[in-house]
Amino acid sequence: MAKIESISHSGINVVDLKEAEEFYASIFGGLIAHRINFNTDDAQSGRAVHSDIALNDWLFAMCLPRGELPMPPDEQLRGTNGFRHGFHITREAFGQLIGRLQRQEVPFEGPRAHPDNSPLGESVYFKDPGGNFLEVCWRRDVVRGGVALDAG
Amino acid sequence: MTHASEGQTVGAHGGENAVTSDLEGFGFSHMILEVGDLDRSEQWYRDVVGLDVLGRGLMAEERPHSVLRMNSGQLLVLMEVESPEPRRHNSQTIHHAFWLTPDQYRSAQERFSADGIDISDERASFRAKGEFSMDAWDPDNHHWQVQTQGPEATEIIKPGVGVVECGPSEQFAVGSVTPFGKGNFFLIRNDEGFLALSRWCRHRNGLLINQKEHWQFFCHFHGATYNYDGDHTSHLRGVGPLRMNPVAITPEGIVTVDTDVVLERQEDEPPRFTPAGVGARLDGGTHGQDRIDQP
Ligand code: FES
Repeated sequence: MAKIESISHSGINVVDLKEAEEFYASIFGGLIAHRINFNTDDAQSGRAVHSDIALNDWLFAMCLPRGELPMPPDEQLRGTNGFRHGFHITREAFGQLIGRLQRQEVPFEGPRAHPDNSPLGESVYFKDPGGNFLEVCWRRDVVRGGVALDAG
Repeated sequence: MTHASEGQTVGAHGGENAVTSDLEGFGFSHMILEVGDLDRSEQWYRDVVGLDVLGRGLMAEERPHSVLRMNSGQLLVLMEVESPEPRRHNSQTIHHAFWLTPDQYRSAQERFSADGIDISDERASFRAKGEFSMDAWDPDNHHWQVQTQGPEATEIIKPGVGVVECGPSEQFAVGSVTPFGKGNFFLIRNDEGFLALSRWCRHRNGLLINQKEHWQFFCHFHGATYNYDGDHTSHLRGVGPLRMNPVAITPEGIVTVDTDVVLERQEDEPPRFTPAGVGARLDGGTHGQDRIDQP
């Protein structure tokens, strides 16, 4: 057993909160977004002004950068800017996601197969409008919507 | 992500998972993290953080990488690059958060201290009750928040001040909302009568404020909102209506609130107001609202 349960959230930066909320809603199919501390008192007291985007077990706390946010090259669809977030869906939903990316003209790379001994099956790679790299995969060790602890 | 073995769910901020995605089986799978020295980072995440090492080269990635796992089945993938970039330029707020059980948190404090990590929480004043957090920077300066939540987050808080005399009933205009610091409740007066709503947020026991301009109560900690009936109205999931204290009007017409008695109601059940007439009272438990008599 590990000594940690999970990763629960990340604070990331985007250039436009509304655009980011719309992107995550349209690609991941529904989400709850909520603006946090959008008032002068909270901002002045040092609370982080941000938009919380809840995606099932995950939460992105989206903040605006202090200045210009350098963007990866347009043609780079797969990479890391320090990190990359990966989400899993079922193998059946994987095709559905690819169709959705195509229809919404979100450029992506993949699907790419992982090694046979990987907990992951295949992945596609793309970016959110703020240049944050994303990956969606189906996992070999997923059972009944959860991850088997004894697999992989 | 659900533990297949236990059916237990640990979600964002450790709360109940709401299903928001229409993609079947959607959940957080893994994070790929740039590191400068794979051996050094693998050792740090294994020995200091306490992740299980699954192995190397398990992903469709060209660069050398190591895959580590958490109890939820989520993975951390350390990927070796020449110059790791923990934060994008102009981005001070970037961080990632590990979620631990309270026991895991206590042993993490020991491991972190032994590794020379400062385990104090400089943002403690921004935490709700029972929320515990410390910060750690990995060998490449990636910022991790390490969090847990104790039972204090949802316990019923009794202020220990007994029956609070609020004043003559005619002092409270219909439509008024009066906060009482002694006893930590809001006294609501509307055309149905009086209602005393506890100021403790049902999410994690943050203390609510009255946002008069929005006609609602607001919790600074994670943004919960409640209307003046005490119904929860924000984006958070699994948060119940505000708890209540019984209100009575004495024969002399004084409004009293018994803070030793805490009432709870279901979401679909409206709150019971105490009529404004002299001698009116509502007894807990007789109106379908659960009386909680724990000490
Ligand atoms: S304590 Fe979390 S919103 Fe109130």
